[in-house]
Amino acid sequence: MSEWVIETKGLSKRYRGRYAVSNLNLKIAKGDIYGFLGPNGAGKTTTIRMLLGLIKPTNGSVHVFGRPLHKERLKVLRKVGSLVEYPSYYGHLSAIDNLEAIRRILDAPAARIGEVLDIVGLAKEARRPVKGYSLGMKQRLGIASALLGNPELLVLDEPTNGLDPSGIQEIRELIKQMPKQHGITVLISSHLLNEVELTAGTVGIIRHGELVFQDTIERLQRQAKSQISLVVSEPEQAAAMMREQGLNVRLSEPGILLEDASDPAIAGVVKRLVERSHGVYRVEEKRKSLEQLYLQIVGEGGRP
Amino acid sequence: MMLKALSADLLKIRGKGIWFLVALGPVGVIAMQALNYGLRYDYLTKQYAGRLWETLLDNILMFVPIALYLGVTLVSSLLANVEHGTNAWKQLLALPISRNAVFGAKFALSVLLLAVSCCLLAVGTIALGLLLKFGTDIPYLAILRLSFLPFLASFPALALMLWLCMTMKNQALPVTLGVMAGVVSVFSPNLSEWFPLNWPIFGYEGPRQELFAGAGLLCGALILLVGAIHFNKKDVD
Repeated sequence: MSEWVIETKGLSKRYRGRYAVSNLNLKIAKGDIYGFLGPNGAGKTTTIRMLLGLIKPTNGSVHVFGRPLHKERLKVLRKVGSLVEYPSYYGHLSAIDNLEAIRRILDAPAARIGEVLDIVGLAKEARRPVKGYSLGMKQRLGIASALLGNPELLVLDEPTNGLDPSGIQEIRELIKQMPKQHGITVLISSHLLNEVELTAGTVGIIRHGELVFQDTIERLQRQAKSQISLVVSEPEQAAAMMREQGLNVRLSEPGILLEDASDPAIAGVVKRLVERSHGVYRVEEKRKSLEQLYLQIVGEGGRP
Repeated sequence: MMLKALSADLLKIRGKGIWFLVALGPVGVIAMQALNYGLRYDYLTKQYAGRLWETLLDNILMFVPIALYLGVTLVSSLLANVEHGTNAWKQLLALPISRNAVFGAKFALSVLLLAVSCCLLAVGTIALGLLLKFGTDIPYLAILRLSFLPFLASFPALALMLWLCMTMKNQALPVTLGVMAGVVSVFSPNLSEWFPLNWPIFGYEGPRQELFAGAGLLCGALILLVGAIHFNKKDVD
């Protein structure tokens, strides 16, 4: 119930007969960084807009802080900071005035503007019109706006879009601090796995509007199983021999791939190969990267 | 809550040239009459001797509806564009503020801006009359009626324009509609006085001025209500 900061039940959105998001059951725990992953067009932004009450779900419900969003939208939003897709700003105004325009609506203390500018590192540039900012600076201003109201929940939709590597690193560090220093729960969406892998504690993967994976990042990593690759002088004979032993073997250039093999089994294989005068050139472990696993999940939609 | 949004909106229009536009309307209308009287001062003062102020007001009135329609259109479009520009709607509407307050604040601000125009028109009329030496027997009430009753009668147009401009990202349609309304209003006074575009002019002329201003207020409120309901339900992309 209220232990979840965000909980959706059967959340769906239909556009002209096509479901952009269907039957989504998100569960985001307090103090967590939740990585919301999926390829472009999978329904991430649509979901986030529904979480913020910008669009109305066709079906299903959203509870934030245990409150029904459609009934207590204003109460909920008071504790939520958000950055949806690319940053919104008033280009002719300076960063300070941009934040002031939002502050007047939030009723936050005036000193908060300086604080959030410091947090995102824009204090020096704060008096210039925002239209002259680089994309990275606009993105940081967007995050500053999201932090302005001292939120308990931060919803960031692709916050590192368009940033250079050092900018991405900066934002990543910033996001990581949030739960630790301020007790803020963070929902961050991205189409880049390593982005989420480095920050998030829990991952939800969405594909064609459906949630196909939702668990901790460790579970996801554990599923990226290892394989042993053997390069030998006569691979076909060796593979046949291994199959006789009941091992899961696949021939693939330049050698043989062994899956789900225990350490003793591998030792046995090597011993037998040596006994039968095969040349053993290389025995190496190949981890299936998280990236491949992700692509597999996103590509097939099945649970790995 | 609407006041918070209004104060934020006041900040956002800074440096957008809206205040300049607000002054340009009445200054333009007055300047045209200054030119008119400047070119044929002797003829006009002889022809209309004895009712100089009345004639001046009638002359100014001819351009009030078109100026109003253009003003309504431009102010609505500029106010809406402040948010459309970088799609700031999604940021604004994700803040803890009701959509009614956002919509209401935009309407209040456009009324405020146009009311400033109306005040300038009143001041400009008096200044022009004095400059043309029409005497100090200034018909204050008539000038106030000229400046504000047509404005009240144009509320339906304002509510409609604001609604269209705020809900459509592409401003071509509402702006075209507004400019057309302005142009048509110059030629339409021959039609029935209840033709909606004629309300502003008959808000000053004729025996039933207050009726047209009242109808404008009522009809404007109705359109505003419908607009607000739609804005409330609309998905924000």
